[in-house]
Amino acid sequence: MNISIKQLFGRRPKSSNIAKQRLKLVITQDRMDVDDRFMTRLHNELAEVLAKYFEFSVNSVQVSLKQKGNSYVLVADFPYKKFHDMNVGQ
Amino acid sequence: MGKVIVVTSGKGGVGKTTSTANLGTALALLGKTVAVVDADVGLRNLDIVMGLESRIVYTSMDVIEKQCELSKALVKDRRVDGLMLLAASQKNNKDDIQPAQMKAICDKLRATHDFVLVDSPAGIERGFSNASAGADEAIVVTTPDVSAIRDADRIIGLLQNERIEPINLILNRFSPELVGNGSMMDQADVLDILNIDLIGIVPEDSGVITSTNRGIPLVYEDTSPGSQAYMRIARRLTGQRIPIPDLEHKGLLTNIVNWFTRKR
Repeated sequence: MNISIKQLFGRRPKSSNIAKQRLKLVITQDRMDVDDRFMTRLHNELAEVLAKYFEFSVNSVQVSLKQKGNSYVLVADFPYKKFHDMNVGQ
Repeated sequence: MGKVIVVTSGKGGVGKTTSTANLGTALALLGKTVAVVDADVGLRNLDIVMGLESRIVYTSMDVIEKQCELSKALVKDRRVDGLMLLAASQKNNKDDIQPAQMKAICDKLRATHDFVLVDSPAGIERGFSNASAGADEAIVVTTPDVSAIRDADRIIGLLQNERIEPINLILNRFSPELVGNGSMMDQADVLDILNIDLIGIVPEDSGVITSTNRGIPLVYEDTSPGSQAYMRIARRLTGQRIPIPDLEHKGLLTNIVNWFTRKR
């Protein structure tokens, strides 16, 4: 059984909120003229570099563009498990 | 000197032509002189929506090709003073007209009219460039759905590149019931995404369909919610300050309280 209690008793998120979130993301990418391929490449290259320094599960990593007022911010979420011991191997 | 305002949207079917017809008529009803221009060459519809289709003799193409004077191509709407239509050619296509030629027509019209409303075709190609070429300001029409809003954002970017401002938003086909139960984005959501000024919200109104069937713009009857919304927008275009009413659907309790406290 893969149905959680939340799914059984919780309310489904309002579709208007889902629409807004999806639109915000896609419009930010439209405005900056970046596509999914660019975001995937950025995601992979960032993961490659950061993997040298700490351990994380690639599936948990999220890289996205967000609008903050009139400017944009790149938000990269890397929930780490532990840092590598950088003294090893030096 | 009058103002040239392009009515545009990016996506088709969101209400550009209906908005142009109603705002043009509403401005004339308020005593302004108005020219409405159909810029949708090859797919003209402003004439039929306004009920003037049987009276079109010349089009903007004839004016450009010097087949007739601009004043002769303008069709006078006999139901109200000061309203003229310049139709688009149905047998040409958008590439047969240059932006500079449309701009020249708009500049001539603004000399003799308080408002020139240009009904833009859908899309971001030549038809849009032609429609916006002579515009000082823009009205972007959108409905509260993802595809219309995404396209509106694209169009807003293009208008900003052309230094057209202000760019005002009409939120069309708004359903208070759907917003109330969380199935439709409300005006705050849409404005948060598009980041331009709202000039009016037009509620979903079946009267739009019947008025289009008859070729009589909705604003001629002043009772329907859509008609009132367009009249308010027209007043705002003339510089009057009229607050945008809260159309959101209230819960049962609020409705009961409102019923008891209503003005009789």
